Amino acid sequence: MSEVLAIYRKEMKTYFNSPIAFIVISSFLVITNWLFFDYGDYPFFAINIADIRGIFDYGAIVLLFIAPAVSMRLISEEKHQDTLELLVTMPITDMQIILGKYLSTLVIFAIILGGTLIAPISISFVGDLDSGIVISSYIGFFFLGATYLAMGLAASSFTRNQIIAYIMGMIIIAVFFLMNGMANGSGLIATLFENLSIRFHYQNFFRGVLDTRDLLYFISLIFVSLLVSSTALASRKSK
Amino acid sequence: MIDVQNVTKSYGAFEAVKDVSFSVEQGEILGFLGPNGAGKTTMMKMITCYMPPTGGTITVDGMDVLTESMGVRKKIGYLPESTPLYEEMGVRDYLNFIADVRRVQGADRTRAMDRVISVTGLSKVIHKDIHELSKGYRQRVGFAQAIIHDPEILVLDEPTTGLDPNQIIEIRNLIRELGESKTVIFSTHIMQEVQATSDRVLIIDQGKIAAQGTAEELKASIAGQMHLDMVLRNADKSKFIEVVNGIEHIHLEDIKLQKNGDIETALKIDAGTDLREQLFDLAVSNQWKILESSPSSFTLEDVFRKLTN
Repeated sequence: MSEVLAIYRKEMKTYFNSPIAFIVISSFLVITNWLFFDYGDYPFFAINIADIRGIFDYGAIVLLFIAPAVSMRLISEEKHQDTLELLVTMPITDMQIILGKYLSTLVIFAIILGGTLIAPISISFVGDLDSGIVISSYIGFFFLGATYLAMGLAASSFTRNQIIAYIMGMIIIAVFFLMNGMANGSGLIATLFENLSIRFHYQNFFRGVLDTRDLLYFISLIFVSLLVSSTALASRKSK
Repeated sequence: MIDVQNVTKSYGAFEAVKDVSFSVEQGEILGFLGPNGAGKTTMMKMITCYMPPTGGTITVDGMDVLTESMGVRKKIGYLPESTPLYEEMGVRDYLNFIADVRRVQGADRTRAMDRVISVTGLSKVIHKDIHELSKGYRQRVGFAQAIIHDPEILVLDEPTTGLDPNQIIEIRNLIRELGESKTVIFSTHIMQEVQATSDRVLIIDQGKIAAQGTAEELKASIAGQMHLDMVLRNADKSKFIEVVNGIEHIHLEDIKLQKNGDIETALKIDAGTDLREQLFDLAVSNQWKILESSPSSFTLEDVFRKLTN
């Protein structure tokens, strides 16, 4: 565990020693809050209903662009600087490296989540928010972000180029997010695609119910992504 | 300390290391010498557990690099080729990070930091960021991270490449100093370097060991041999070749006809023979005029070139 924390601390230092953390956190909050309060046919102030679902709807799309920007450098930068070679020859397992790096992105995302609390807190002063729905929505949003970041990390572990890592990450996330729109009807394929899509499971959280199937879905995606990342690191070990 | 047995490494169809065996004793400084692409780096990457050998076994202090990788890694300090560092980190932060991962903690950490900073002479730049450092200081930071856990074994891949002559001497002194208490393997393609620092030399070429021994032993293998460069006037090239080939212990290495008709030639003369008088008499009898005659003995450089060409 101390090895995981060593990697985690190093990544946090890197995020906050440069403008990356500040840029991704502030751009997410500015864009999402603007979309929620002021954009589209039904901006928050115009429809006059105490509902913050818009935060999570818009947030899921904005995060699709922001999350891979957080995770793109994690492994690709180590490859580019050749520091990965030193890292993997120290007494630390590939999975510990991956977990330490992943943990740092979760903390960045937790700060983003904290920033979005402005909306529900301020709205709760002027209207009635269903706190059950708010809490379940936040849990859903946390798992959504955690999944995006794990996928972005997996993309980063396949290339030494950060731009490629970013684009690959975004494409993988987008494919999983939109999968339910890729097959129509009620056949087996359509059901399969629907059940594999992030959007399908994500929406369930807004009903104020936590379904273990949805949680399990996100947890499996995270698990597989981390496993893929660790396997990519271990590819050097092929004889 | 390190035992390499029949090790092979292939990248696809390309065999980078072919059936290599050698061992390194405790406290020994072993120099890997070879041209670029000879397999030095690949060999080091296998010893440091970066990648496994395709065939054969490597053990470090009795531990197999495949099955007891974590134990091996704890014993080794590694400086990879071209000294990869986290550019955006501060020097102290970086060393603290390495100490963190290597679990050098508490009072040990404080002592280790003081030790590596003084050994590698980093105190002047300890508060700087790595990207601000000169090449020489970067190399020292690389050394510092390699010795922060006071490892028994140091693996250094081309530690002096790209440094200026003063820095090279400093790094060589550092290697010798560290080699007093540690087992060291370092690679280089510079002859003088192994002569200056290592107890033993391993010459690698095209994935194979071309020769091994102390620098003296290697030189002795061709000791006594002599080069003789001559310029002759009034000599016929084919006649000269015919005459030289007729003398035992003389080998014609090179012959060139200069524009003005002079012959420029390089001869190799076997150990234990001195044929200069005989050559003089031959020149006289053939009416060749010796314009130049400069003998030189073989250096380790010649051993290297001879073995790796």
